[in-house]
Amino acid sequence: MSTAAQPLYRSQRLALRYFTAAIALFGVMIAFGLLSAAYYLFPSMLFNVFNFNTSKIMHIDILVIWLLMGFLGAVYWYLPKELGREVAGIRAAEITFWVFCLAIALVAATFLFVQYGSANEFTLWFINQGRKYVEAPRWAAIGIVAILLVFSWNVVGTCVKAHKMTGIMWVMVLDLIPLVVVYLDAFPADTNMSTDLYWWWWLVHMWVESTWEVLIGCIMALVLMDVMGTSRRIVEAWLYIEVMLVLGAGILGLGHHYFWIGTPQYWLAIGGFFSALEPLPLLGMVVHAVYDAGMHRLRTSNQPAFYWITAEAFGNFIGAGIWGFMMTLPQINLFSHGTQWTVSHGHFAFYGAYVCGVIAVLYVAKQRVTGVPLLAGHTWRWGFGLLNLGMVGMVMALLLAGMAQAFYGRAIGGSTLMAFTTASENLWFKSGMYARMLFGVIFAAGYVALVYDLLRAPRSAALPAAQPQPA
Amino acid sequence: MSPGALLETAALMGLFVLAGGAYGGLYSMGRLRARPHWVRAGQACWLLAFAIAVLIALRSPLDLGWKLLILASAMVYAVIPPVTWRYLQRLHAHEETQQ
Repeated sequence: MSTAAQPLYRSQRLALRYFTAAIALFGVMIAFGLLSAAYYLFPSMLFNVFNFNTSKIMHIDILVIWLLMGFLGAVYWYLPKELGREVAGIRAAEITFWVFCLAIALVAATFLFVQYGSANEFTLWFINQGRKYVEAPRWAAIGIVAILLVFSWNVVGTCVKAHKMTGIMWVMVLDLIPLVVVYLDAFPADTNMSTDLYWWWWLVHMWVESTWEVLIGCIMALVLMDVMGTSRRIVEAWLYIEVMLVLGAGILGLGHHYFWIGTPQYWLAIGGFFSALEPLPLLGMVVHAVYDAGMHRLRTSNQPAFYWITAEAFGNFIGAGIWGFMMTLPQINLFSHGTQWTVSHGHFAFYGAYVCGVIAVLYVAKQRVTGVPLLAGHTWRWGFGLLNLGMVGMVMALLLAGMAQAFYGRAIGGSTLMAFTTASENLWFKSGMYARMLFGVIFAAGYVALVYDLLRAPRSAALPAAQPQPA
Repeated sequence: MSPGALLETAALMGLFVLAGGAYGGLYSMGRLRARPHWVRAGQACWLLAFAIAVLIALRSPLDLGWKLLILASAMVYAVIPPVTWRYLQRLHAHEETQQ
């Protein structure tokens, strides 16, 4: 990859601000994850002071926000490089960044200090919208739409002004449409619970899973060209394949969320069938990752980014493929949905699909900013090792706890309140919760190591022979 | 579905995909390093995946349609690594020729 010989574009400096905010929010997300985990061990903790639900809201909503910031930062980073000019409307992009940060601070303060309001319009607009994963009050949801519109203008405007469209940019520009439109599902529209959930899952599955999947695909295509010198034709061919697979299996895979919300029975067949197909393309991606890693014989000018990209391919296969397939068919899902089993799948799939990719981009930016020809050393391995160990340990622990819930609480106990309580007291469940906490702490230690490594100045090292050249 | 069958079926389904992934990983590493025994180990993993699919079909209380889907998936797993590998080789070879 190119190093600090050329000055940074304004949009790349903006990207660095986005990365800084994203990594800081990543830490806040982990802190609230640990706090949420602690509630399972000490249920009366902070009673009447700070409730579990708010802690969980902070954990999940910040996950969405920090990843979104990571994606926006990654696009602002690569856009000038891809199109050969400064981003159009960069001033508006810079302003929206600060507006975004201010909005996050205000919403977080509301969640922390107000928490709840009465069931009226004021609460909906200014305290909590009451929609799982997008609880931010409506004014903030409108703000996110505005930010995404500015972002879309930046991307499309830059393509227009540069008079240039690459295959990756075509995919990204088309992906901007669902990125903005599907997010509109964040606004409550229906008082019928089933109808409301029907559309809400579009937000969770189509926006966070499908639309983001395509966006991270575009970002990874740019990273692969940068870090591994893979040719444009190859990464674009794979990007088109990925888009086809997302459209082919992913869209109707949405049906696995429709099993138990009051939708017609045919969703059991549609959701189960298309979800069962989802591991197939992931298997192809594993083969591709091994091929690419092997062709470069693990040699690259940016070792941490390279390892995080590889971790993404395997993490995606295991988290989404194996963990997802275990519980995707309706007969299993009847017992497993809404237990820690689902939480286990969610953690692994998000980590594999998105977190690893964003961290890879952070290391790309670090190399460019510090100007070292070879980013290697040992410190990054601590972050890589501890984060991966912590995540694998957490998802195994959650799987154990979730299986205990499904077995004792659902299959034996019949999903009654008493069965839920009994399952929550079960030794397997409690052991899983303790193990989750332990590995959560290891994950947090990995985060500290990651931040330390990102902030420290790298030692200069000579570039080894036969480095891949950027496309 | 009985409580025991629930855990057994879920575990078998997870192992089924895991064995498929092991096949993909070992097959491609074997091809990469020209180590035929790794490729054979990968193929053994596919056989294991297929055996698990048969076990699911015979033992689990899943509906017939899902059993057939899993068996069909096992067959598709067999071809994904070699087909992907050949595609990647052709793509890279074409790229090198162009350069």
